[in-house]
Amino acid sequence: MALNGDEEDFEWEPPTEAEMKVIQARRERQDKISKLMGDYLLKGFKMLGDCCEACGTILLQDRQQKNYCVSCQELDSDIDKDNPALNPQAALSQVRERQLAAQVPAAAPELNGGPTSSQAGVSVPQPRPEHCEGAAAGGRALLPPPVVASPPPTASTTTLAPIRPPVCPQNSTLRPVLEEAEEAVLTKLRWATAQLQSSASLEASIQLCSLISSCANSLRNLKELSQ
Amino acid sequence: VKMVPLEQLHLSHVLQAVSALESIVLRSFGPEGGQVLFTRDTGQVMVSRSGKRILTALHLDHPLARMVVRCVWKHSTITGDGSKTFVLLLASLLRIIHATATKDPHMFQPHNSTEASEAATARHLADRLLEFALTELDKLIVLNVLPHGFRVSLENFTAKTQHDLSCQTLLVSFFRTRLGYAYCDFFRNLFCELLSHWKVKDDRPSFSMQFLNNSFLALHTQVSGVPVSCSRLIEGQVIHRDFATPCPQVRKQPLKAVVFNGYLQPKLLTTGDVLELRCGDKVTEDRGIVHFSSWTEKSVESIIATLQSFGVSVLLCALKQSSAVLAAATQAGMCLVECVSEEEISLFTQLSGVTPISDCRRIHPEHIATLTFCKPLLLGAHRYVHLDFHDCEERLKVKPCSLVICAPSEGQADQHACAFQDAFRMLLTALEPVRKTQTALEETIPSKKCTSLHADNISNGTACRVHLHQKCVTETGCVISAGGTFEFLLHHALHQYGHSCSVSVNTSAVVPVSQLLEKALLSVPRQIYSHNLKHFLQAQTRNGNMSLKLLDLGLESVSCKYQLVLAVLQCLTNLLRINMVLRTHAVLHTESHDSLNAHSFMIPMSH
Repeated sequence: MALNGDEEDFEWEPPTEAEMKVIQARRERQDKISKLMGDYLLKGFKMLGDCCEACGTILLQDRQQKNYCVSCQELDSDIDKDNPALNPQAALSQVRERQLAAQVPAAAPELNGGPTSSQAGVSVPQPRPEHCEGAAAGGRALLPPPVVASPPPTASTTTLAPIRPPVCPQNSTLRPVLEEAEEAVLTKLRWATAQLQSSASLEASIQLCSLISSCANSLRNLKELSQ
Repeated sequence: VKMVPLEQLHLSHVLQAVSALESIVLRSFGPEGGQVLFTRDTGQVMVSRSGKRILTALHLDHPLARMVVRCVWKHSTITGDGSKTFVLLLASLLRIIHATATKDPHMFQPHNSTEASEAATARHLADRLLEFALTELDKLIVLNVLPHGFRVSLENFTAKTQHDLSCQTLLVSFFRTRLGYAYCDFFRNLFCELLSHWKVKDDRPSFSMQFLNNSFLALHTQVSGVPVSCSRLIEGQVIHRDFATPCPQVRKQPLKAVVFNGYLQPKLLTTGDVLELRCGDKVTEDRGIVHFSSWTEKSVESIIATLQSFGVSVLLCALKQSSAVLAAATQAGMCLVECVSEEEISLFTQLSGVTPISDCRRIHPEHIATLTFCKPLLLGAHRYVHLDFHDCEERLKVKPCSLVICAPSEGQADQHACAFQDAFRMLLTALEPVRKTQTALEETIPSKKCTSLHADNISNGTACRVHLHQKCVTETGCVISAGGTFEFLLHHALHQYGHSCSVSVNTSAVVPVSQLLEKALLSVPRQIYSHNLKHFLQAQTRNGNMSLKLLDLGLESVSCKYQLVLAVLQCLTNLLRINMVLRTHAVLHTESHDSLNAHSFMIPMSH
C-alpha cells in the first residue's frame, strides 16, 4: 500500500496478493477472537479492562479469578504461531531451521524430553519474555518458543509436553545420559557462539543470545542433577 | 498483569471490545435469532432475547464496553426497542472507520505515531458523521423513506379496524419480536384494552400513553405461577403491600382514606439523637423518658381520634409505623397499610386528588380521599390491597384500572412486564415526527406516493404543535415494513446523495461520510437474512415496489429507526473521543446502572 509521491497525492495501490492474504487472515483471526470472547462472556467470564501483554487482546477472567487470554491460549497455540504469514518469528525460525539442517549434526535425540529420559535434559528454554502470563496460570507448559529452534526442533511444533519436576531415577543409569546431554549442549553452545560472532542481523543475534543463555541454563541444571 | 497508570487507547481496542459485544448480540438477532438462558447462583432461570437484558447481565469491567452497554440501556429506556440493532450498527461503523483510518492515517495533521494519527482520523470522521446526521439525515429520510411507508394513527385505536395496517399491527410485530408468536395477539388486545380504559375523553390518546409510561411501575402487578392467559385488567389500584392491621368486614358505603408521609408516633432516640426533656419551667419529679413516651402515645391516640371524627378508616403510610400506632389503629377499627412505595403514593394522590399528610397534628378535609372499596386481594401467592376511587370518572374523566401480568415463572413475568412498558415507549417514539417541519416538506412531494388509511386523516391537520417542554407527539406516525427495508432505502438514498455530492464538489482527499454510513447500514439486513442470502438479494432489489403483501414481515416505525441511527452516531463519537485510560483502584464496584464505578476512568481529550 505504497503512497506515490508526497502526502497530497493519495494514489492508493491495491495490496499485493500476499498482503491480501495477510489482511484476510488477520480479519478472520479478529473475528474468531471476537466470537470466542463472546462465548466466554456468555458463560459468565468477566471482561477486564486490561490487555494481554503479548498480543494486546482484551483479557477475560473466570469465576476463580484466573485471567485468560483468548488469542494466546486458544488461537496462538494451534495455528498462527507456525504460520509464517502471520508470525514473523515463525518465518525467521523456518529460515534458521533450514540453515541448521544444512550445518549442524543432528541434535541428540534424547533431548526430546521423553518422560523416561533425563528430565533435566529437557531444559526449559528461556521463554519469550513477552509470553502471556496467563498461560502459565493455566498450568500448561510454556511452549518452547520457535526461536530457539536448535536442540529440539520438533519439540517446538508439538504441543504441550508437560514439564514434570525432575524425578530422580537411579544414579547409575543417569550418569552416561547426563554426560551425553552435557556434551550436546556444549556443542550447541560452541556453535551458537561462532554464529554470534559472525552474525550481522539484529534479530538473529538476539535469538542466538537467548539460545546461549538457555544452553547455560541447561548446563547448570545438568550439573545440579549430576551432584 | 501490570497495571499501568496511564494508557494510550488504540482504535483496535475499541473495535475489539465492541466486536465482542456484537458477537453476543448476533446470536439473538433477527427472526431466527436464538434465546439466551440466564442462570443465577440461586437456581433461578430465565430465558430472554432482549438485547438490553443480555447486555446488562454480562460481567464487564472494561470501561468502553460498560459505556456502550450504558448507551444501549439509555436508548432502550427512551425508545423501548432496538438494542441489538444498536450494537450491530455501532460495530460495523467502527469497523469501517477503522479500515478507513488505517488506510490513510496521515489524512489530517501528522502525529508522532501511526496509532495516534489513526485515532485522530477516526475521531474526525465520527464527528463529521454526526454532524452530517444531525443536519442532512432527516431530510433524506423524509424524502426517500417516508414515501414508501404508511401512516398509522392512534385515533380509533381500540376499534377493530377493517384495515390491516394500524397501530395494532405495529404492536403485534413488536410483541412478536419480544415475546414470540404465542402471546403477541393476546398482549396486543390487553394493551389496547388498557389504553381504552385510561383514555381521557376528548383528549389525545398520546397523553394517556405518556402517563401510563411514567406510572407503569405502580400500575401493574406481576404474578408468577399462573398461566399467561390469566393476565387481565382489574379496576382501581393495587397497592403491593398487605394490611398491617386486621381488616374489618367489607363495608358498603364509600370509605375514607388518608395518606401519611411520615411517622404517626415520633421516633424515640435513635443513635446520635439528643433529647431535651423539659416540663415547663418547673422542676418536677416526673421528668424522664417514661413521661416522654407516654406523652407520645397520648398524641397518637389523639391523632386516631381526629381521624375517627373525620370518619377515616383506611390509613396508607409511606414508612413503617411503630407497634403503638398499629395497636391504636386496630383498636379503632382502622385498616393500616405501611411501607407503600413512592410511585404508588404518587399515583394514589393523583387519582384521588388529595395531598399526603406531613404534619400529623393538622388534618384537614383536603387530605381525605373517598374510596369505593378497599379490600385484600389475593394474586398468586401474595395478598395485596385493592382499592378503587369514588368519583374518579367525573373528576378526571378516566376509569382507572390496573394490569395483572401472569406468567409461569418470575423471570417470564418480568419479561412480559418489560415488553409491555417498552411498547408504550416504542409507540410514543413512533409518533414523534422525524422532522419538525415535516408537514411543510411533505406538501412539496407528489402526494400520490403517500398512502394514508383513514379518510379523515388525509389532511395533515394533526401537524405537530411544537411543545417546547414536552415530547412532541403527533397522533400519526409513519411505519414501514420490517426486515431491513429502512436500511435498504436509506442506503440507496445515501448512495445517491454521495454521488451528487462528489459531482458537485471536487473532493479527492475528503471521504464523503455518507459513504461510511451507507456501507454500515447494510450490515443490518445482512444479518437479518444471514441464513438465506437469496432473500437478502431479493429484499435489496424489491425496494422499488412496496406492496401490502410484505406485511408478513411485520412493521416497524421510521421514527424509532431514525432515533436509533442518531443514538449510535452519538455513542460512536463519544467512544472515539476517548484518548487515554487512567487507572485507579476504586473501592466501590457497584453493578448499578446509575454509576460507572469501574476500575478505570477515561479522559476525553480534545485535540
